[in-house]
Amino acid sequence: MEAIDSSAELELYTIPAQSSWFLWDDIHEIERREFEEFFSESSINRTPKVYKEYRDFIINKFREDTSRRLTFTSIRKFLVGDVNLLQKVFLFLDRWGLINFSPSLNDNDTLSSVDNAKIEQGTPAGIRVTATPNSLRPITAPPLVEQRTVSGVKLPPLTSYSDVFTDLKKPDDVLLCGHCGQRCDSAFYQHNKSIINICEKCFKNGNYGGENNAADDFKLVGDSAAAVWTEEETLLLLESVLKHGDDWELIAQSVSTKTRLDCISKLIELPFGECLMGSTSGRLSSAVPTDDEDTEQVKTDGQEHEETETREENEDGPPAKRKRVALISDSDSSLMKQVATMASKVGPSVATAAAKAAIAALCDEASCPKEIFDTGDYTDSTVDRADGDKDTDMEEQKEEKDEPQGLPVALRIRASVATALGAAAAQAKILADQEEREMEDLAATVIDQQLKKVQSKLKFLDQLELIMDAEEEVIEGGKETILQERISVLQCAFRSGVTKRWDHTYVK
Amino acid sequence: MKALGSSGWKGPVKFRMPTAENLVPIRLDIQSEGQRYKDAFTWNPSDPDNEVVVFAKRTVKDLKLPSAFITQIAQSIQSQLSDFRAFEGQDMYTGEKIIPIKLDLRVNHTLIKDQFLWDLNNFESDPEEFARTLCKDLGVEDPEVGPAVAFAIREQLYEIAIQSVASARESRLSKKGRRGSDHGSASKASGLSMDLVKLFSFKSSVVRKRKDLDVYEPVVDLLTSEEVDALEAREERHAR
Repeated sequence: MEAIDSSAELELYTIPAQSSWFLWDDIHEIERREFEEFFSESSINRTPKVYKEYRDFIINKFREDTSRRLTFTSIRKFLVGDVNLLQKVFLFLDRWGLINFSPSLNDNDTLSSVDNAKIEQGTPAGIRVTATPNSLRPITAPPLVEQRTVSGVKLPPLTSYSDVFTDLKKPDDVLLCGHCGQRCDSAFYQHNKSIINICEKCFKNGNYGGENNAADDFKLVGDSAAAVWTEEETLLLLESVLKHGDDWELIAQSVSTKTRLDCISKLIELPFGECLMGSTSGRLSSAVPTDDEDTEQVKTDGQEHEETETREENEDGPPAKRKRVALISDSDSSLMKQVATMASKVGPSVATAAAKAAIAALCDEASCPKEIFDTGDYTDSTVDRADGDKDTDMEEQKEEKDEPQGLPVALRIRASVATALGAAAAQAKILADQEEREMEDLAATVIDQQLKKVQSKLKFLDQLELIMDAEEEVIEGGKETILQERISVLQCAFRSGVTKRWDHTYVK
Repeated sequence: MKALGSSGWKGPVKFRMPTAENLVPIRLDIQSEGQRYKDAFTWNPSDPDNEVVVFAKRTVKDLKLPSAFITQIAQSIQSQLSDFRAFEGQDMYTGEKIIPIKLDLRVNHTLIKDQFLWDLNNFESDPEEFARTLCKDLGVEDPEVGPAVAFAIREQLYEIAIQSVASARESRLSKKGRRGSDHGSASKASGLSMDLVKLFSFKSSVVRKRKDLDVYEPVVDLLTSEEVDALEAREERHAR
């Protein structure tokens, strides 16, 4: 019983919150239900008084020393009565935490483990823990090549670009010299063909870390130079990507101030960069988890692609062909389909959020999409924009702009995706409105019916009342007649001269 | 106030073990070809009869007894089962009967003495559960003790159930033409039952008196091997 510690005499006992119904002075409904045999008056040895004595005794016994666990056997000897019944009472109290409830007692015993949840180490059997799609925590990427032939249904394991490129690009980590293993503080030399970096010292010393590495294979890369990408450089990069496709050598040459790996990493960083490498952007919408499935697959397509590239550069030989262009078109159609199906499954609010987020992301990262999309609030106006229209729109705007060619392609895809989502959202909204109206209708009908029910009940009761009134009158009449008869009988009695004694008893 | 007699009286119930599970205690003590097989276990009378032979065969195989035991074991079990079944059709009285059950048994190295009350009317009682709790609370590690305790309880309950059948028969014979409840006679027929009326009345408390506490307390002793041997020898002598 949780006694509030207001006075020194009251002792504080803790019981679980769900047992707060317990009253010392009374027997609660829960107890009555559990122990019907005590309350059904069917036997001598089971009365409420007996139950209360058992219960109080057991609880008091426990409270004599709350730190030790009370066992049934220890109290059994104190109480007279069927041991099975006593055990039932004991288990009941134990289960409700009215006895044996204390932090020191809760770990071991099995009697109380009914309520306690078992804390297991690790994951339960049958469930495997994988990283959430949005997390950037690197997971070991299995060789993705084997799953190239996977159908659209089964997705390859989730991976993120960071674990593919962890070795190549360490944005937060310091670069370690490939040869001496020390930090390359300011500037380092990067090999053109492989991933090896060596620090300045090693370069000067002529340790190129590995066979056949000549001095001119290394390009000096200063830290500062590697970090900053100006607009022109970005532009150049994109142009050259589109021109040269996957040939990173040429790209690096055209973006002269940046190394090959820098180019790759910068491209990844760009929101639509991966699209240019063969898949749509991995950052279509960060807000919608249902889209992640799609983007992950898309991303992993890109990953496969990139990984094949890097593997090539590592001179392992390309395990699979590059299908950059094909990938775009493949993912184009399949992506649209997937987006459409997903948008149809997903609720209207989610789809709206997705579309909004997609547009916001687009607008944030590059200025041209804003013009393409015209307005910030895209969702309402997308009803008009069928896919066909949009395409022509895109193409017109593409011609108008002087932007590098690659952008509209990428943006077109994104725009179409967003359009699809928006269209789905609008559709869903209309449906939702309809549903709402229907629901209101139904609710009104229900209320009507209820009212009718109540009215008929009232009518019925009114009729009942009338009947009762009538009966009352009849009874009144009956009473009067009886009274009359009694009077007449008395009169007869008096006339015939009965005795006084008889009078008394009769009148009574 | 209700007449206590009428409120406690229940009609006769078909014979069965007054426990949640209607299991029969079976005791075996077979001697043949210089080997002795003693055992005690519970059997479910609703098992098909061919199970008896299967059980006998398996036991003989497990304990590596001579095969002559098979028929003897099977026969013994069968006869005890048929005894039980003979009682099954008959009525027994299940008035208010709380009886003390005494335990005084030795299982391997553990000696248990205990006494407690058992309600024959409580058809949800479970000797196995009681034995489990007892062993757990007293920290008995030998896993054979629990079943032995349960068996001892069952045996005593069985005895009392048989007695109540007999008493039911008697009182039925003598009942002719008599009205009113037989509650009083039924409970007094067995001298063991407690005087419930006095015990559970308004005036008395269900807390046991101090002088009785020792009797009703379980005592567990762990014996050494020599003591076990000594006890076994004494038992053998008594048996002969």
